[in-house]
Amino acid sequence: METMSSKERVLRTLEGKPVDRVPCMSVMLEAKTIYEIKKKPLLSKIISDEKLLKLPLSKFVLDRWAPQISGLVFRPSLKKTFHLRNIGQVEMGLDAIWAYYDDTWIMLDSKSYAMPTGSIYNLIPDGSGNMSYMYSKPGITTPEEFDAWPYWPDTDDMAHSVFKYYKKFVADYGEKVCITACGSSLGLQEGMNCTFGIDKVPIWIKRHPAYVSRYLDLHEEIKMKTSEALISAGVPVIFISDDFAFKTGPFLNPKIIDSVFGPHYRRIFKYIRDKGAKVILHSCGDNTKIFDIFLSWGIDALHAYETTSDVDIFKQKELHGDRVTMIGGMGIDYLLTSKSKDEEVIARVKDLIMRLGPRGRFIVAPSNSVDSMSAHKVLVMVEAVKKYGSYPISIN
Amino acid sequence: MKESIAAIQNAVIDMKDDDIKGLVQKCLDEGATPLEIIEQGLSKGLDVVGERFDAGDYYLADLIMAGEIVTEAMNLLKTRMNPKDIGRKGKVILATVQGDVHDIGKKIVGMILSASGYEIIDLGVDVSSEKVVEAVKKENIQLVGLSVLLTTMVHNLKEIGDMLAAAGLREKVKIAIGGACCSQHLANEMGVDAFGESAVAAVGIFDDFRMKLGLA
Repeated sequence: METMSSKERVLRTLEGKPVDRVPCMSVMLEAKTIYEIKKKPLLSKIISDEKLLKLPLSKFVLDRWAPQISGLVFRPSLKKTFHLRNIGQVEMGLDAIWAYYDDTWIMLDSKSYAMPTGSIYNLIPDGSGNMSYMYSKPGITTPEEFDAWPYWPDTDDMAHSVFKYYKKFVADYGEKVCITACGSSLGLQEGMNCTFGIDKVPIWIKRHPAYVSRYLDLHEEIKMKTSEALISAGVPVIFISDDFAFKTGPFLNPKIIDSVFGPHYRRIFKYIRDKGAKVILHSCGDNTKIFDIFLSWGIDALHAYETTSDVDIFKQKELHGDRVTMIGGMGIDYLLTSKSKDEEVIARVKDLIMRLGPRGRFIVAPSNSVDSMSAHKVLVMVEAVKKYGSYPISIN
Repeated sequence: MKESIAAIQNAVIDMKDDDIKGLVQKCLDEGATPLEIIEQGLSKGLDVVGERFDAGDYYLADLIMAGEIVTEAMNLLKTRMNPKDIGRKGKVILATVQGDVHDIGKKIVGMILSASGYEIIDLGVDVSSEKVVEAVKKENIQLVGLSVLLTTMVHNLKEIGDMLAAAGLREKVKIAIGGACCSQHLANEMGVDAFGESAVAAVGIFDDFRMKLGLA
């Protein structure tokens, strides 16, 4: 078989068609991982973001007027960070990347920011001069707070911004790599978990169904408009990231997952696929009880198969590997960190290719994105896939 | 009265939160004591919820909903209880270790332990090892539950154990850990006394600690 381009290889794999080689993919690498390649903080050569935020003047200004000046001081650096992370992935020689871009976040003070859909995060230094983030708390705890939330987004503005960024990104890199991208942060359940507090989600579903509907309707609108913007910009694959499960299983009863989120996701996925794009759904944790529900929503590929959960990627290949393309298999708790040996990464890649490659519809990828992921180990993964992944598979 | 207590048990099992306070009040009006309602109604209901969770029939969200119903009932019952019966099994410190802000599991553990008769001192999230040890000393606590999700923060578990040992308290204090990155292997590595795979396991673990410490 003739050598294919990365884009062709990935798209054909998503369609279940024969390809020249098993593809490999990354998932939204963090700034710290990209720093390992760049050897410098992503944004500033003179002063790190961490030090900049700690300057008395910065703290004074941000602690008083951060929301009002987010557009001036926060979003430009946010945009640049996401862009450099995306380029960093392209430069690693992967077949596909999960590009990430979101310029809607609102800085609240010198230590925290909000997503417009109602969740609060802490800004934390990642140890390499960049600022990272960690979920802090729900932004909305009562229906009254829901009605009073000041940052609900303008979905048309979001779509316009997404289109503008990806139009150029696709023009610059769209032939080099298969770009998969999401147009907004957080999926439907993950968004609810962050906005209302994960421990309050079942209570909101039971006691405030009208607010839950309003919330999910907004997310559906965001997903549809930003996905349309992505597709118009030339992005061939929409990567929808959600989180339905812990490592021991789903958070909600599968029937509730299907009844609450299913109608929205069915409409979103149909909308995307009707426009000719592919859909990847990410959900980490052990989703073994809900994989069939995901498939019924109409997707092309599933990502994660998190190795630290109880999910067995090889068993799942037997169960649904012919109906959907599977992406993942590489652990991020040990294998793709600095703690592992190169030989262990190579051995895992070979094992995945030998056992999952022959039937096709499989893409090697990390099961998630975390600060502790080593760029070197991702590169070892990429090289191993290129060395051992060609069809017909023959690994001794 | 038995029927009324059974109705409370069923409300917890079936997660019917519409009128839990009304059901509790009815039991009290019929002459049941708060402890009878807790032990025969709420706790037994939670036991069934836990069994169904272990069997895979119930999910984490169901535990939360059942815990919410129990908390509502407890808020009413506490106003009627003899203060010495509140937290009759002893005090438990719960904390998410420094550098980590995840607390969903910790909250559920707190709700379940509280309904089972423990008094919970929740130190919150991103809690320094010093603060945990200070609280142990100040409140004379022997039971500690630590939550951690991030692998990069697990060293705090060992640090807390070491600091308790340095203070001469390690033998008197039992530590359980839980959270996404935890395992029995990690518990052994960090030198803590137990690992809870799910929130439901917490009651058994802390009851066992009480036995070993001679508190039961």
